[in-house]
Amino acid sequence: MAKYIVKRVLHSMITLCIVIFIVLALLRQMPIEGYFSNFDKVSKAQIAVTLKKLGLQDPLFVQVGHYMLQLLHGNFGRSIKYREGYSIAKIIAQKAPISIEIGLISVGLALLVGLPLGIAMANSVKTKWKFWDRFGTVLIVIVEAVPSAVYHLLIQLYGSELFGVSMLFSRDDITTWLLPIFSLSLGNIVYYAMWLRRFMVDESNKDYIRLARAKGVPSKQISRSHVFRNAIVPLVQYIPNSILFTLMGSLYVESLYSIPGMGGLLVQAIKIQDNTLVEALVVLYSIISVAGLLLGDLLMAVFDPRISFTGKEGSRR
Amino acid sequence: MAEKREVLVSIKDLCFDFTLRGQTLHALRGISLDILKGESLAIVGESGSGKSVFVANLMGLNASNGRITGGSILYGDKDLAKITDETEWNSIRGSRIAMVMQDPMTSLNPLKTIGWQICEALALHQDLHGEAAKQEACRILTEVGISEPERRYKQFPHEFSGGMRQRVVIAIAVACKPEILICDEPTTALDVTIQAQILGILKKMQKTYGLTVVYITHDLGVVANVADRVAVMYAGDIVEVGTSNEIFYDPKHPYTWALLSSLPQLGIKGKPLYSIQGTPPDLFQEIHGDAFAARNPHPLKIDFVKRPPMFKVSDTHFARTWLLDPRAPRMEPPEHIRVMIDKGRALGLTGTGAETAEKGAAQ
Amino acid sequence: MNYRDHKTRQLDSVLSEELRKSCDPYEAYRDLPEDELFQPAQFDSSAAERRGYSNYSYWGATLQAFFKNRIAVFFLAVIVVTLVFTYIQPLLPDQKDPKTIYNDASGIQIINRSPDSEFWFGTNSIGQDLWARTWAGTRTSLGIGFAVACFEALVGTLVGVLWGYVRKLDAFFTELYNIFDNVPQTLVLILISYIMNPGVGTIIFALCLTGWLDMARFIRNQIVIIRDRDYNLASRCLGTSTARIVTKNLLPYLVSVITLRMALAIPSAIGNEVFVTYIGIGLPTDIPSLGNLVQAGRLVMSQPSLRYQLLFPTAVLAVITISLYIVGNSFADAADPRNHV
Repeated sequence: MAKYIVKRVLHSMITLCIVIFIVLALLRQMPIEGYFSNFDKVSKAQIAVTLKKLGLQDPLFVQVGHYMLQLLHGNFGRSIKYREGYSIAKIIAQKAPISIEIGLISVGLALLVGLPLGIAMANSVKTKWKFWDRFGTVLIVIVEAVPSAVYHLLIQLYGSELFGVSMLFSRDDITTWLLPIFSLSLGNIVYYAMWLRRFMVDESNKDYIRLARAKGVPSKQISRSHVFRNAIVPLVQYIPNSILFTLMGSLYVESLYSIPGMGGLLVQAIKIQDNTLVEALVVLYSIISVAGLLLGDLLMAVFDPRISFTGKEGSRR
Repeated sequence: MAEKREVLVSIKDLCFDFTLRGQTLHALRGISLDILKGESLAIVGESGSGKSVFVANLMGLNASNGRITGGSILYGDKDLAKITDETEWNSIRGSRIAMVMQDPMTSLNPLKTIGWQICEALALHQDLHGEAAKQEACRILTEVGISEPERRYKQFPHEFSGGMRQRVVIAIAVACKPEILICDEPTTALDVTIQAQILGILKKMQKTYGLTVVYITHDLGVVANVADRVAVMYAGDIVEVGTSNEIFYDPKHPYTWALLSSLPQLGIKGKPLYSIQGTPPDLFQEIHGDAFAARNPHPLKIDFVKRPPMFKVSDTHFARTWLLDPRAPRMEPPEHIRVMIDKGRALGLTGTGAETAEKGAAQ
Repeated sequence: MNYRDHKTRQLDSVLSEELRKSCDPYEAYRDLPEDELFQPAQFDSSAAERRGYSNYSYWGATLQAFFKNRIAVFFLAVIVVTLVFTYIQPLLPDQKDPKTIYNDASGIQIINRSPDSEFWFGTNSIGQDLWARTWAGTRTSLGIGFAVACFEALVGTLVGVLWGYVRKLDAFFTELYNIFDNVPQTLVLILISYIMNPGVGTIIFALCLTGWLDMARFIRNQIVIIRDRDYNLASRCLGTSTARIVTKNLLPYLVSVITLRMALAIPSAIGNEVFVTYIGIGLPTDIPSLGNLVQAGRLVMSQPSLRYQLLFPTAVLAVITISLYIVGNSFADAADPRNHV
C-alpha cells in the first residue's frame, strides 16, 4: 500500500511538471499586449525592456524553470491590469474563501441529493413503473444535453423572478446564495446520480449478487451491503476531482451572479487581458486537476483491496 | 440402490417460459421429477437443454423475463411454484436449499473478506454473530480443506486461487446448514486436478451434513463419480431418469445412447468418435412429438407426431421414448451401447436386460 | 403500408408456410394410421441442422430494438425535421436576410420589435430579423458540431485502433493520455480561444484538440478487450491479415460507441461555443451563431418584454441538443448486443 502511494504521488509530480510546462509554453504565445497595463502609450524600447525584465525573452526552458521556482515559494507573480503590481497570491487568497464556501455547500447538497437519487433509480429499474428511474432519466437528459451555459442562465432568470430574489450575489443577503448554489450543484447531482445508477445496475447483474440471493440475503440488504458498496468504488475515484473543481468556483456561475470568487476572476482576467493573472489561474487549475485525480486514485485504493494488492494503477473510465 | 427413500421435493409437469425479443421460448416443457432425501442426483444434458433454468426454479432465481406457466414444485408443505413473495423465498434460500455456482472467480464479492461473506450467511440463518460466527466460519473453512483459517478469514477473494474460491463458495453454502445443496456445474471452470478435489469435498460435506445434492453437469465423468441417480435432459424435458448404473449400463432413450456414444472413453479403437448430428431444436417453436426425433439417426414416424409418455422400465428407471411401446419395432442400440450393456450384465449391475424390461406406460 | 407491400407480405407468408410444411415431418406424418406410425422414418440430416436458433442478425436486432423505443423514434423524427428545415430555410419564400438591418418607412431601424406576422421571432436590438438569425445561427453551430464530431470520430478511431492494436505504441499513448487527461478541457478551450483570433476555425480547432483523446482512449480499451478474444486469435492463426481483423472483426463492434460519441459531440460543441462566447472570446458578433444569439439575448433578458430574444434561440438549441442526446443514447443501447434479448 505504502509503495503504491509513493509511486502514485511521484507519478503525479512528474505529470504536473509536464503539464505546467505545456501550459506555460502555450501561454507564452499570448499577445504581448497582455503584459502591459498601458500598451498603446509605451514606446518600443520600453516594451523590450519590460519583456526582458519579465524574462519573456529567455529560452522557454529557462522561463519555465523560473516560474517553477517561483511557484515553490508560493509566488504567482504580480498582476498587470487587474490590480497593477499587486501580488497574485494575495488576490487569490482574497477570492478563494467565497468560492470554497459556496463550493462546499453545493457539493454537500449534490452528494445529499445525487447519491440517494442514484440509488432510488437503480432500485426502481426492476419495479413495474420505474418511477424514480424515469424521473431521474428525464432530469439527467435535460441537464446533460442542454449546455450548462444555457440552463444556468434560465435558472438565474426564472429563479430570481419566481422567488423574488436578486439576480446578483451579495455576501450578506442569504437569499442570494440559493440560486448559485442550486445551479452549481445541479451538474454534480446529475453526475453522481447517473454514474451511481449505472454502476449499481452493472453490479447487480454480476454472479456474486446471484450467490448472495441464493444465500437468502434480503434484497434490501443486498442493495445496501453488496450493490451500493461495490458501485461506489468506481465513483469514488471521480468525487475528489468534482469537489475540488466546485471549490475552485465555476467560471460561468460566478461571473453570472457576480460572485467575487476565483472562477469569476479568470473570466475577468481574460476579458481585460491580464496575462500574468491568466497564467497563474490556469496553472492553479492544472495543479488542482492533477491533485484531484491523485486523490481519486488514492481514495479508490482505500476502498478497493484489489488495487493495493496488485499495485496497478486504478483503471479510469 | 434398492432401499426406498423419502421423497423430499416432488416436481410435477413444470413448465417455464421466457419472453425474448417478443417471442416466447419454452425453456421447460412439462418436467416431472422426484428428489429423494439424502441422494445425489445428477441432471445431465447439453448446453441450452434447460438444466440451469430447472434448478433456478427451486430457488426462485430465474431472470425476470421468465415465468412458471404450469405445474408444481412440492417441498415440505409448500409449493415453490406458487411463491412470488421475496421474503418467503428468503426463508428457503440458503437455509433449506443452498447453491454452489459454476464460476468461483466471479461468484464471490471482490470487496468483502471471505470471512465477512461466510458470516453474512451465518448471521442470517444461524443467528451467529461476532466471535461465535468467526469460530464457526473458521471451523467450516477447515472442513472444506482450507488451512490456516484464522489468516484466510481476513483475506479477500483475489488472494485465493480458483479451486480455493470454490471451497469458500461451498463453505458459504454449507454454513447455512441446508437440506438440499444444488451444484450448478461446480467443476466446469476448474482444471482437472482440482475437479477431483472439489468433488471429494462435496461428497464429504454430503456425508457430514446429511445433504441431498443435486448436480447439474454436462460432464458424464462427474456423473459417474458422484451420482446415485441420473436424469437426462433434452430440450427442456427429462427424457430418461434412473440410477446411474441403469443409465450407464442399460440406457433406453436414443438421446442417452447418443450422449453416451460420444464419450471418448467408450470409443472403439480405430473408429471415428461418435458425435450427435445437428443442433438442438428451436425452443421458440412448438415441438411435436419427441424433441430428439430430427437428430435421431433411426427415428420412427410417430416420433415426429406424438410426444411419448414416460415408460417405466424398472421401479427406478423411466424413459420417454416410443421405442418402449409394445407396438414399436425392435431397435438395436448402437454398437458402443451394446458393449456397455453386455459389460453391465456381466458385472451384474443391472437386474433387468433390455428384453425383459417391463413394458407399459407408467402414468 | 400500401397495397403492394401488403400483397407481398401475404404472398411471403403463404410461401413460407408451404415451405415449412414440406420440411416438417409432423405435417407429413400426422394423419397416418397408428400401425404405420410405428414404422421407421427417414433420417434427414439437413432437417437436424435446420432447427437451430438462426433468426438473429446484428443490424436487424439493433434496428428493431431502436424502433421499438417510441421516444427515440420521436426524437429522431424531430432531428430530421429540424435539420432539413435548418438547411432549406433560406430557400423558402419570404425569408429575410440574417445580417440585414431593417428600417421602417421613415428610415428608422426596427429595433426590439416583438414577434409579429412580418418578423416571426421579432427583431433584435439593432433591427435584424431574429427568425433568420436563429436558423443561420443553428447552421453555424451545427456545422461546428459536425466538423468536430467527424474529426473526433476519424482521428479518435484511428489513434484508438493503433493504440490498442500495436503493442509497442501502448506505453507511449498511455503516458500521453495520462498527461493530457490532467488538463481540463475548458482550460484548453479558453487558452486556445484566447491565444488565437476568434473565428469558426479557432473554435473547431480548440474543440478538436481535446475531444479525440477521450475517444481514442475509449476505443483503445474496447480494442484491448476484444483483440485477444478467442475468435480473433483463431482468425489470426488462420492467417487473416491485421487490417482485415481490424476492419471486419473489431470496428463493427465499435460502431455503437462511435455513433454515440459523434451524437454527443455535437451538443457539447454547441454548449462550448455558447460558453466561450459568454466569456468574450467566441465567434465575432457579426457571425450569427447560437452562442452569439444567447449572449445577445442575455444582455436584454432583465426586461420581460424583450425576453423572446433569449427564449427563441434557447428553445431551438434545447430541442437540437436534447434530441441528439436521446437518439445517440438510444441507438447506442440498441446497438449493444447485451440488450438484444
